[in-house]
Amino acid sequence: MITLKEALKLSSKELEDLKANLASEIAKHPELNAYIDVNNVGSGVPIAVKDNIQVKDWSITSGSKILQGYIAPYNATVIEKMLKAGLSPFGRTNMDEFAMGSTTESSCYGKTLNPHNADCVPGGSSGGSAAAVAAGLAIAALGSDTGGSIRQPASFCGIVGMKPTYGRVSRYGLGAYASSLDQIGPMTQNVEDAAILYDIISGHDEKDSTSADMNDKVSDKLNPARKLRIATLPKYIEHASQDVKDAYSKAIEALKNAGHTIVEKELLDAKYDISAYYITATAEATTNLARYDGIRYGRRAECKDLKELFINSRSEGFGEEVKRRILLGNFVLSSGYYDAYYVKAQKVRHIIKDEYAKVFEDVDLILSPVAPTTANRFGSLSNPIEMYLSDIYTISVNLAGLPALSLPICKSAKGMPVGLQLIAKAYDEQTLFDGALSLEKEINYKG
Amino acid sequence: MQVDDTLLNRLEKLSHLKIADEKRAEVIGQLSEILNFVDNLNELNTDGVDDKFSMSDAATFMREDKPACDTKINDDIIKHAPQSADHFFIVPKIIE
Repeated sequence: MITLKEALKLSSKELEDLKANLASEIAKHPELNAYIDVNNVGSGVPIAVKDNIQVKDWSITSGSKILQGYIAPYNATVIEKMLKAGLSPFGRTNMDEFAMGSTTESSCYGKTLNPHNADCVPGGSSGGSAAAVAAGLAIAALGSDTGGSIRQPASFCGIVGMKPTYGRVSRYGLGAYASSLDQIGPMTQNVEDAAILYDIISGHDEKDSTSADMNDKVSDKLNPARKLRIATLPKYIEHASQDVKDAYSKAIEALKNAGHTIVEKELLDAKYDISAYYITATAEATTNLARYDGIRYGRRAECKDLKELFINSRSEGFGEEVKRRILLGNFVLSSGYYDAYYVKAQKVRHIIKDEYAKVFEDVDLILSPVAPTTANRFGSLSNPIEMYLSDIYTISVNLAGLPALSLPICKSAKGMPVGLQLIAKAYDEQTLFDGALSLEKEINYKG
Repeated sequence: MQVDDTLLNRLEKLSHLKIADEKRAEVIGQLSEILNFVDNLNELNTDGVDDKFSMSDAATFMREDKPACDTKINDDIIKHAPQSADHFFIVPKIIE
């Protein structure tokens, strides 16, 4: 597949042909189920869009039955920015319902297959976007990352996925899951494309009150020759599978070869990250998802009175994982439990953020696993707590609001991609991309 | 933390959700398991730590106080709503 950088040089006739060809290739592989449907806006370079980012006049449903019938009445800011930069929203990609999952199995549109092995999940929640890029059915895609939902499917599918610093990319028009954690980001074939797409979608937006008032760009200044201090996390790695440990050693050697300085560091035990994350995310989700009442948009259930309208629309419209998280969120926010759970988790977020700040006093980047294993087989994470534990390496980045980028390092013994992530301090996307480009060049991964 | 049927009833009420009878035992088990796990936060000493967390320490940005409203968005939402008429959402009768 042509890269985003190359595609930006194509004539409008060439882009038209490319899109026709892409649409026909997508139609030839319905079993992959990376796309929910394929529509196009404008005459630019086609970019696949996750089903929770508003594209005006498209059905945008967050993979949920409850949003069937909803038509987006406006463009998300990232879509406006793409259109201005000569990119076209092209195709809507599958996802876990309301981005709550790590496998894309909870979508109301059915599962998406991993292009490397049809028995394995593509990861999630941005599994459709990752599978589309990995299968050569998209030049690049947008995903969203609340607890790893860009980086983990990128790792499982062998592509690049980047989560920007909180506030770098406007959330205006992103279907909200956990507002203090959500960020939209690029999912691409290589690091340079990720930098290009990140530059296009980032920047200040007055429609998002949490948007950072910063507009600096990175892709014109990429410098893989910079020598950086990079932290490794030997204790963290103990939880990972042998495939991931091997990839970690390989990446450390590559970074040393490229002239970077490696130093060993420690972070808080990641089991606390999981707790702080699932309390915070479910609390925010329960608040955000209160708007789905069957009255203003989406699907309304049969009912005889108003109370039944709310309860039936929500009980029929939400899937099991979403319901579980709403119940949990209401628990941690409810009187009698609020201080012990929600407030405690906010305090722990300070501790997590401070731990990262301490490490970044001495280093430029941190090298970390993305997931403890390669892509799981379908149905293997059927117990909720097991699925939550699989987020162990990604969620602290969201809790602290940091930028991170997942890139493929090697393949496992069974031929599945293994990705790792680099993490940078807040707003230091330049160093993140510079380091990632250096690692990518040294590793020379062949999908 | 053990969830029981009384607590699940309360959470359903707060959530405007109804968990089917055949699912209740499973959901109670799952919620209890998750809450038992997150209780590990009590192992951390958080005395004196700020109890509010904000994503940015910077003040919210300033903008001109100009009214802005794209009424086309309202029109489109009403048009696609499950039931609407005369620019209103229709709901079941509230007062008998």
